Amino acid sequence: MQVKVLSTRFDIPDAHKIEVAKEHGAYSTLEKVFSMQPEEVIELVKASGLRGRGGAGFPTGLKWSFLPKNIDKPVYLAVNSDESEPATFKDRYILVRDPHMLIEGIIICCYAIKSHAAYIYIRGEYTTQAKALQAAIDEAYAAGYLGDTIAGKDFQLDVTVHRGAGAYVCGEETALLESIEGRKGQPRSKPPFPAVEGLYGCPTIINNVQSIGSLPFILANGPEAYKAYGTEKSPGTHLFGISGLVKKPGMYELPLGLPILEVIEKVAGGVRDGRTLKGVIPGGSSTPVLTPEEAKTVTLDYESMAAHKTMFGSGGIVVLDDTVDMVKLVENLISFYHHESCGQCTPCREGLGWMLKIVKKIVRGEGSTTDIDLLVELCDNIEMKTVCVLSAACTMSTRSYLNKFRHEFEAYVKSNASTQTAM
Amino acid sequence: MAEKVKLFVNGQEVEVESGKNLIDAIGAVGIEIPHLCYHPALGADGNCRMCLVGIEDGRPPLVPACKTKAVEGMKVQLDTDKIKKIQHDIMELELINHPIDCPICDQAGECKLQDYYMGYDGQKSRMTVPPVVKSKNMDFGCGVVHDQERCVLCARCVRFTRLITKTGELGIVNRTDDARVNIFPGRPLANRYALNVVDLCPVGAMTSQDFRFKQRAWFLTKSKSICHGCSKGCNIYVDHNREKYKDDIIYRFRPRLNQVVNGYFMCDQGRMTYKLENENRLQTAQLSGIDAGLNETIEATRRALSQSVKTVILISPNCSLEQMHTLQKFAASCNGCVSGYSDGYMKTGDGDDFLIQDDKSANRAAFALLGIDSSKSGFMDSVKGADLLVSFQNDLSRSLSAAEIEKLHGEMKFVAVGSYVDGFTEKASITLPVASYSEDTGTIINSDTILQRYEVAVIKNNPILDLIHVVNLLGGEIKDCKEAWADLAAHIVPLSNIDLEHIPSEGLALTDNEVSNVAA
Repeated sequence: MQVKVLSTRFDIPDAHKIEVAKEHGAYSTLEKVFSMQPEEVIELVKASGLRGRGGAGFPTGLKWSFLPKNIDKPVYLAVNSDESEPATFKDRYILVRDPHMLIEGIIICCYAIKSHAAYIYIRGEYTTQAKALQAAIDEAYAAGYLGDTIAGKDFQLDVTVHRGAGAYVCGEETALLESIEGRKGQPRSKPPFPAVEGLYGCPTIINNVQSIGSLPFILANGPEAYKAYGTEKSPGTHLFGISGLVKKPGMYELPLGLPILEVIEKVAGGVRDGRTLKGVIPGGSSTPVLTPEEAKTVTLDYESMAAHKTMFGSGGIVVLDDTVDMVKLVENLISFYHHESCGQCTPCREGLGWMLKIVKKIVRGEGSTTDIDLLVELCDNIEMKTVCVLSAACTMSTRSYLNKFRHEFEAYVKSNASTQTAM
Repeated sequence: MAEKVKLFVNGQEVEVESGKNLIDAIGAVGIEIPHLCYHPALGADGNCRMCLVGIEDGRPPLVPACKTKAVEGMKVQLDTDKIKKIQHDIMELELINHPIDCPICDQAGECKLQDYYMGYDGQKSRMTVPPVVKSKNMDFGCGVVHDQERCVLCARCVRFTRLITKTGELGIVNRTDDARVNIFPGRPLANRYALNVVDLCPVGAMTSQDFRFKQRAWFLTKSKSICHGCSKGCNIYVDHNREKYKDDIIYRFRPRLNQVVNGYFMCDQGRMTYKLENENRLQTAQLSGIDAGLNETIEATRRALSQSVKTVILISPNCSLEQMHTLQKFAASCNGCVSGYSDGYMKTGDGDDFLIQDDKSANRAAFALLGIDSSKSGFMDSVKGADLLVSFQNDLSRSLSAAEIEKLHGEMKFVAVGSYVDGFTEKASITLPVASYSEDTGTIINSDTILQRYEVAVIKNNPILDLIHVVNLLGGEIKDCKEAWADLAAHIVPLSNIDLEHIPSEGLALTDNEVSNVAA
């Protein structure tokens, strides 16, 4: 089931070094890219059907075409490498094992959107990754792939690595821009959208590492080759991080559209012997949980996830078996989002703390059914009332556990102890 | 006139100004959209989420009104169950960690949280878990006291120090419900407008060290006036109260909106001049430092005037136009020389490019209009050979050195007609108290030649006579302020067409019409 589109060079020793990477095809698309008009590159990416790999799945080429025409301001590219969603560990592979694929992608993107400055916003905890990335960028400058000319062509591009300071919310694209600008990472109200008014008030495109990393393959092999993988509406491949209670957790590149249970069984080895599947988080902690029954019909693509009222998210699949205490899982979940709330909007700032205290009360065995109902109501009251979707990330997922595993919450309320072990 | 657009609020068509956001546009026709973080002087921040409104057929259908411009044909929904529920929910969330200490909170009575709770929430607390505990009674400097538990993190104060004073002393530190407004360690508020954050704060998180615990807001009478702290003439509210068995006392000045003169703000120094109206006032008529009856003192002054060989009438740059004119006529009638010498009221270099002016008097611009000489040489010429100096509210000790005053004192008799005990009244052999501006009415011209009128704000238990009345008793022909203005209008061309009853609320700019006509 595994394929090698993005991960072609992942297993080649020293592929993070430019000479090894070049030997295996890195930067080979640039000749072709510079022979095209920027608009043609955008059309080609549109034709590939590539969708943003940050979680929302917005078509990448379409996003680029939202840039205002005939503007006298510089255009910026911000590469979102703030991979912070719990259970997500895909971009870090690109950063460490094949950073030149990312740099090549950045060159392609910047040429297409006529940008001469790209910022890679990398999460603060990624120290190894930031070092590896910076080393690769230094190599690219030395080899003439970045700087005043690119591969001898008259195109100037500078790439800057900007390290975050540890806030989850900086993965939200406008908070990311605020952070690059040196301010506190707090999402901006939209409109204006970044494509019109982004970094330093200039038009800005923000793309995920994996989206940008997908560009060299698309340019090298054409949109049809890319669309050969995946489904019609979700073409291509994805780096899936499978974690949780499976035999073989890890990062696997798979085409989109595969049945989720088959992937868990065949790729990740299934749940441990003697255990049964209790639920699946399909794409990072913020995506609503699936019951085993629901998971039977789910395939790993955007449209199937939407049809099952969950989200594809970041491809971070978490497998939960019958040892998992869903109430404690929700406590852990709310605890994370509460801690990461930027504190800007009232509902998220005050509400998530309240939710956390209520769920802790339930875990302590002091809760009542009123508390469970209040939690459900608070999810409704907080969701979508805020500048960004961080609060929704918490409430959408929390609500799914409250609805699908309500009996576990009620068990806590009735008898004040759980027989199940914590995750 | 601004362009108008028609839109619908709750299905009803209203005409509003275009280009404004929904809070201001719809608010101007009397429909309230609740909001905490938005302030017209600080712009939209969009963090409180209290102003979320529905837009029928809109994309998105739910928008913050503070960040949404009024557009022709827009269908704004404020009274739908969905919007009412959102307002209710936001209020509930604002209050879960709030201490609800209204009985001991200075903001009570003028608090947005109280108003909105009554208007949009009104339900019992569902909080069954302990609230977040935060710091209280924090000294932020400049007389500003902060209570983090009452704070709703609207960031108005933070934005004020960044956008208006550009000093940036305040910030919001930490995330989530650990977020707190704070100063940076060891760097308290240090700007001359800091107390405006107390007015800006929609809740009781920012209180004034000076005003704290002195009065409940609902007992205060809010009278309109003009600050006399400098020549800017900031529009103010005089908040005062007459407690049982006590006199009418002023407890604070607050800025009053005047887009042309001072906007929403005033300086701290001007704000604190309310104390001068309460304390250290000249209360009783005195002859040679001994309390005497008013009639007796008036008689003594009349006698001094009639016996004088040469009289100098010294006018204060704080006197109103009417008072100045009355004094000019009075001086003419008793052959006195007039001077407005008051160099001591100038503090060169003290002003800034916002509100504070070098000139610490309220009506110096009138000197030029009425032809009153205020030069030191003019004053020195006047006092040559004079044997009587009558000062009307002008503290000469601010302009002359002690030695100079002493020299003059040796040469002539000092009479002080004033409102405050000052360096000059202490030297005067006759002192006559008159009402100060907060107890009087008058017209003044500020440093931008904007004519403004102030009315009586405070009526004392034993009202002190106003200056024009006192001058009348001394033999002046003008009886009251009204008569003074009528006479002024008849003699001073730039003032001839002004209808005092109908001066616009933002004042009347003289530069544009009258004054320039005179020059031509």
